[in-house]
Amino acid sequence: MSRLEAKKPSLCKSEPLTSERVRATLCVLKGILTSSYGPSGRLKQVHNGLGGCVCTTSHSSALLSNLPVTHPILKILTTSMQNHVSCFSDCGLFTAILCCNLIENLQRTGLTPTTVIKLNQQLLHLCTSYLKSESCGCRILVDFSRPQTLLCLVRSIVTSKPASMLTREETDHISALVLRAFLLTIPDNAKDHLILGKSIIVPSKGQRVLDSSVFPGILLEMSEVQLMKILPIKKSDAFKVALFCASLSGDLSDTGEGTVVVSSRVSLENAALEQLLNLGRQLVSDHVDLVMCQKVIHPSLKQFLSMHRVIAVDRVGVALMEPLSKVTGTPPIGSLGSISPSSYGRVKDLCPAKFGFKHFLHLIPNEATICSLLLCSRNDTAWDELKLTCQTALHALQLTIKEPSVLLGGGCTETHLAAYIRHKICNEPESILKDDGCTETELQLITEAFCSALESVAGSLEHDGGEVLTDMKYGHFWSTQAESPSVVNWPDLLSRCGCGLYNSQEELHWSFLKTTRHPFAPQTCLPHEEATGSANNLTLDCFTAKLSGLQVAVETANLILDLSYIIEDKN
Amino acid sequence: MVMACRVINKRRHMGLQQLSSFAGTGRTFLGPLKSSKFIIDAECHESVLISSTVRLLESLDLTSAVGQLLNEAVQAQNNTYKTGTSTLLFLVGAWSSAAEECLHLGVPISLIVSAMSEGLTSCIEEVVSLQVPIHNVFDHIDSTKTFSGLETFSGSLCPFLQIPSDTGLQKEHDLKDVASPSLTIYNLSGIPVKSPKLFRPQAEVEADKNTLQNPQTLKNSLLTGNHYRKSILIHSRHFNRMDNNQWINKPDGFLEQHGAASPHTYRCNDLVELEMGLSHGDHNSMKLVDEAVRLQYQNASMRQGSCTMPFRFDVSRLFTCCLPGVPETFSCVCPGFVTVVSISNSALIRELQNQPLRIILIEGDLTEYYRHLGFNKATNINTVLESMKVQDSSEELWTNYVLQVLIKFNVNLVLVQGNVSEHLIEKCIHNKRLVLGAVNSSVMQAFAEASGAVQVTYITQVNETCVGSGVYVTFWRSIPSDVMDRINIITIVIKIEGINLVTVVLTSPVTAQMQSKEDRFWTCASRLYYALKEQQVFLGGGAVEFLCLSHLQILAEQSLSKRNHVCSGWLHNTSSWLASSLALYRSTVLKCLANGWHKYLSTLVYNTANCSSEFEASTFIQQHLQNATDSGSPSSYILNEYSKLNSGIFNSGISNKLEQIPSIYDVVIPKIEAWRRALDLVLLVLQTDSEIITGLGHTRLNSQETEGFLFL
Repeated sequence: MSRLEAKKPSLCKSEPLTSERVRATLCVLKGILTSSYGPSGRLKQVHNGLGGCVCTTSHSSALLSNLPVTHPILKILTTSMQNHVSCFSDCGLFTAILCCNLIENLQRTGLTPTTVIKLNQQLLHLCTSYLKSESCGCRILVDFSRPQTLLCLVRSIVTSKPASMLTREETDHISALVLRAFLLTIPDNAKDHLILGKSIIVPSKGQRVLDSSVFPGILLEMSEVQLMKILPIKKSDAFKVALFCASLSGDLSDTGEGTVVVSSRVSLENAALEQLLNLGRQLVSDHVDLVMCQKVIHPSLKQFLSMHRVIAVDRVGVALMEPLSKVTGTPPIGSLGSISPSSYGRVKDLCPAKFGFKHFLHLIPNEATICSLLLCSRNDTAWDELKLTCQTALHALQLTIKEPSVLLGGGCTETHLAAYIRHKICNEPESILKDDGCTETELQLITEAFCSALESVAGSLEHDGGEVLTDMKYGHFWSTQAESPSVVNWPDLLSRCGCGLYNSQEELHWSFLKTTRHPFAPQTCLPHEEATGSANNLTLDCFTAKLSGLQVAVETANLILDLSYIIEDKN
Repeated sequence: MVMACRVINKRRHMGLQQLSSFAGTGRTFLGPLKSSKFIIDAECHESVLISSTVRLLESLDLTSAVGQLLNEAVQAQNNTYKTGTSTLLFLVGAWSSAAEECLHLGVPISLIVSAMSEGLTSCIEEVVSLQVPIHNVFDHIDSTKTFSGLETFSGSLCPFLQIPSDTGLQKEHDLKDVASPSLTIYNLSGIPVKSPKLFRPQAEVEADKNTLQNPQTLKNSLLTGNHYRKSILIHSRHFNRMDNNQWINKPDGFLEQHGAASPHTYRCNDLVELEMGLSHGDHNSMKLVDEAVRLQYQNASMRQGSCTMPFRFDVSRLFTCCLPGVPETFSCVCPGFVTVVSISNSALIRELQNQPLRIILIEGDLTEYYRHLGFNKATNINTVLESMKVQDSSEELWTNYVLQVLIKFNVNLVLVQGNVSEHLIEKCIHNKRLVLGAVNSSVMQAFAEASGAVQVTYITQVNETCVGSGVYVTFWRSIPSDVMDRINIITIVIKIEGINLVTVVLTSPVTAQMQSKEDRFWTCASRLYYALKEQQVFLGGGAVEFLCLSHLQILAEQSLSKRNHVCSGWLHNTSSWLASSLALYRSTVLKCLANGWHKYLSTLVYNTANCSSEFEASTFIQQHLQNATDSGSPSSYILNEYSKLNSGIFNSGISNKLEQIPSIYDVVIPKIEAWRRALDLVLLVLQTDSEIITGLGHTRLNSQETEGFLFL
């Protein structure tokens, strides 16, 4: 007997943003994100409270993916941030904090969503076109003949995550390694299409960070016993490789549905094994030197191969299949049927290697854009964070090679951009207002909300109660300790701006970031050559990631502000 | 799903407080005198005896996030180095208090992080001056000198502790193989002890001499301690008896070397000296390590013949066999593979001994249904019988097949890494074949190398090339049979010419102590392993820590006067105000960090019972610190103190032989890594401001705990 139950009515809430609970949770979320931002950001211990592993992090991707938020508005926010992070890796916290700030500030203006959204879009457009323009004062073109800029970019990313627990020396070492690993993925003879290779991060926990290193080719981890079995490796000019993604374990996994009835005289296992051994015979007669399998190779097949001096490596794992296929120059073999001689690949050399307590078989390719970054750290938590940071840095480098610019970091881009927009709106409001039905007051309000949202992202870099300032010439970001005497000699108290480009000795005027100041045109004279030459330690941000972050933040804020109803299906 | 989030860093830093309270539990494990602890489960009344940090943390409830991080750090140190965990735990506690102190003084968190890691880095650079190079320790290994001073151990019960007849106390306690419950260290103050280190109140010297001359006092006081405690006390790095030259036969030249005026000529080129220095009082274990090294060395020189590859001490080819219930004095080292087998095998062993056997090695289980890893059994296959002929069960068929293979290849010995079918074992006993399961993988590897056998997964894989030969099985009778009969087991040894495998047989009359005995053996073995691997050691006994302490004090003073330091960590290339105000706070932070070392050293001195109170220990350290600072160069002060000790200033009246107090050494990398791990953990927790509980974990929080949580 089936029973029907009446469906519960859906729940509909209007004006979701006005509810106290939404504001409170949004505030908590913002608190979590802002407190994690920047190189002095505080860490979060993420765990399940049931004895699961504890992840100590301030990385946006780790935080966002671990925050199972319930409210639909927060879900929109976190999902769109996660999307950004999965596409660009970098600037996740920037995007999320900016979005929260925008929602908070714009809501406070009390204007209708339509107006807010329209003007917001205009301001965003103003920002992006400025950032992309020639005259942009916070963008540096990357000169690939000089690695210094790229190194600064990597170092800025590496230092932005304190949970990786690096000392100065270690930071330099890791930054150099990441850059080298990236350079190894660039093909030597790039024609029209540049296809970047891949850097594989190989874990080596429990070792000193300074033991990390980069190798061209692939490191296949294996137990000492396994490695001893395949040694010594015979010398050869090139090794013929068969790469399998199909399981060679000899099981009958795809027997389909239903039941198979077999006579007790027939052994299916033996039949499967016989098929494998036939395959083995073919490999031997084709003079294959190395057989690699994503899954398991049957011990009998392994024994057969090793008797014929063929090296067999199994359980390579799916993650390594693509790089392996690139290194050997052959697609993986997916079936055990007939194998054509063309499906074999080659590697230049094979050698055993030992790092720390792990044993590896090192595959050295002829010329391939695959390299292995052996990453060491003495504790698991720090290693996890270091891995995320290195991946972010590698990704940022890839984005930079497509769009060869970087933005000034350390909060300077944000304050500079805010100064630019304030000045632009103050001087030429008609450029935005010309075809919209908005008043100038509305524009002023929205501009203030937008700019202070940007500025308070920069202000979030400060976690130890310091004061944040901006100069009235370049619009850069400066910080100083709190409770400075009212009459101070600023040039002596301040040292350099956030990105490190300017120092305090060049006749600047400062104002607190929180206070209102007269709009000024931030100087756009960015001495490209000198800038990169003089200051070796600039803090830089990935251009593409930051630009996208800006767009995602504004669009998401618009989307959330535009919500008038939430309809929940309660069934 | 709801997320709970808690701010853990409002006024008091909860994480740091948790760390210091966890670390407090391991305080007594610092130093060579470790008081054992009983951990009692209040619910099921089970208890364990523990005497090491790792075992302590295993038994504690560390489900809190900070506890888990602490456990993770200690486990990582233990898995990598097997030593330095007590140091790690103690420093975690000391430095989390230091960090908290800094917070109270209003130092910004980022600056604490920066200055502390800078301070420790500077310490690590500084202590390089106390490194002692190790030179060719194996050059003199063939000389008659061994760790125990005797070539064989079979002649006496425990030659290591053999003592001239005028004392007569050691034999007494060797025979007394019952460990009385561990006593605290306080009641041992009357024992003739003598610190080889600088940290020793001079007043006690006289008292020690007096007690030493009175064997009766000695005996009484020693017998109250337990077995382990006694052996440690007699020769610990901090706590040394005077008449110790019967244990170490110094080569001629040794005294000259250390007695020489220049303190900078420290070097170690004698294996026994090195082992003695690294034993940290645990001579029983180190003696076994010494014998194991010698066996490996002999083995290596035999295998190599004329080829002169440098000898490497290989810990992976050491194997421990624990025999609980056997008196401690029977612990020994033996080439080959010693293992315990059930008594039902004795007839078979008798049959097999004295003849070369053929061997096969099975990597997986030796059972009918075992399949290699990654083999997925299809679930929907039914096997049908076609005829009604009565057949043996499939297990019987399989067992017979295995036997046939063994017979065909004339194999009498099967070593299996996994489990073995009981039925098969019985069948094999009847057929004069010995099958041993659960064999350690390095043992398998050693037999594979020596016998030429190739490890296989299935019995079906066996062919002529997989079979090894020349293996001998025999009873292992180093322990008198009456002792063995009492515990109802038989031990056998499996050997083959040239096998690179040494079994260390560990015995303990008290089953509860077995685990800690094994742990201690591995600790000693890995200390020696790392010392030999790095070819250098630290001067031990608190010397490095003392140098760190005085170095930080000096740094703190200096940073008060000059403020032009370079910043470290991320601060060095940032323009944040923090970078410029680091100079303001550096001295404060460094002083707090130094206090951690001070606590460490005081506890060390206090634990070794040289001082009656922690306060006394602390002032004692303070005194030396003052001396060191006054001398201008702490490292030469330490080296001077060392050479004074070693040149025999404690020449005692009771013996007319010149006293030689052995140097104490510490391993370099494991020690430094323990420091770094400790500071990393503290700084990680220091920088954490909230705890995010994902999933449904928050439902376990009870109403009291939910206070302070925010839900999203």
